[in-house]
Amino acid sequence: MNVVWTVVTAVALIALTVIEPQSVLTVCLDSCSQAVTTALGLCGIYCLWLGIFEVADRCKLVESLSKCFHALNKFLYGNISKVAEQYISLNFASNLLGVGNAATPSAIAAIHETERTEKLSRSGAMLFVVNATGIQLIPSTVMGLRAQLGSVNPSDILLPNLIATAVTSVVGVALVFCAYGRAK
Amino acid sequence: MNYVVPLLLIAVLAVGLIKRVNVYDSFVLGARKSFDLSLTVFPYLAAIFIMVNALHASGLDVYVTKLLAPPFRLLGVPAEVVQLVLLRPFSGSGSLAILTDVYNNYGVDSYIGRCASVIMGSSETVFYVASVYFAGTKVRHTGWAIPIALLCNLLGAVTACLLCKIM
Repeated sequence: MNVVWTVVTAVALIALTVIEPQSVLTVCLDSCSQAVTTALGLCGIYCLWLGIFEVADRCKLVESLSKCFHALNKFLYGNISKVAEQYISLNFASNLLGVGNAATPSAIAAIHETERTEKLSRSGAMLFVVNATGIQLIPSTVMGLRAQLGSVNPSDILLPNLIATAVTSVVGVALVFCAYGRAK
Repeated sequence: MNYVVPLLLIAVLAVGLIKRVNVYDSFVLGARKSFDLSLTVFPYLAAIFIMVNALHASGLDVYVTKLLAPPFRLLGVPAEVVQLVLLRPFSGSGSLAILTDVYNNYGVDSYIGRCASVIMGSSETVFYVASVYFAGTKVRHTGWAIPIALLCNLLGAVTACLLCKIM
């Protein structure tokens, strides 16, 4: 990440300086303000979901959810702490329901639980790949945009989308198994 | 689909009532953590946004898109959606803007429009997700995680274009 970010940013800034030197500072400052607004927006989203998660946790709902996914979690992640397993189950359930906003805070909490060293562990890599290959059953944003722009049938992409995400998820999980071996 | 989130919220609150949990106190306790979490994420977001916006403002993204269009065509990905495939790992709002452009230029229900829809739906903002997830942890070496996710995104795009042709 260090090398990628530095090289790409440096090259882009050099190109921008050659074309339009006066806009370099504006672009950088605008990006930082954009980060502030996004972070505040995320804060609101996290606020709702972390609050609801805490309630669900006190009701022992998370524990039951975690039991439902136990076999799957064992297969994918191996032996992880009970807390991490609960967060991972929450994350998986949110993804399946298409509530992507709720998936992020639970994934972050799980990562904080599993990662203790500088090198990403197998379970951390698995969680990241599962989330980054988009296990999302209903692409609601895309369908909303299609409907808004006057598509005849906004949902006719559902099936190809489902197959495509299934392919990427399966391949992603398989690749993690190839790279890191079976879960211990 | 519109009922999933409302029902979920109501169900959690209802179970809380039945089990006599202090719902109000628990909610406040959980919600308090959100500020720290977004503060941890914030500087990583700034770094990603600077990179993406600098790329876009300098026009380098268009140049790279043109450069990579031929190899993508070999994989069956039409040139019109290459920019979307390339930008998707970096920026959610940026790729949504490009998706809207594609819809407006080529039509929502055209082959290109449908391809772009499935690409958008089946891929993720890999670098953005990585920066958000690993923010605040000690993790510095992510190993195979990001290459695997990027490869899957590419595979998703190829599959999307193929599926839209036959479906």
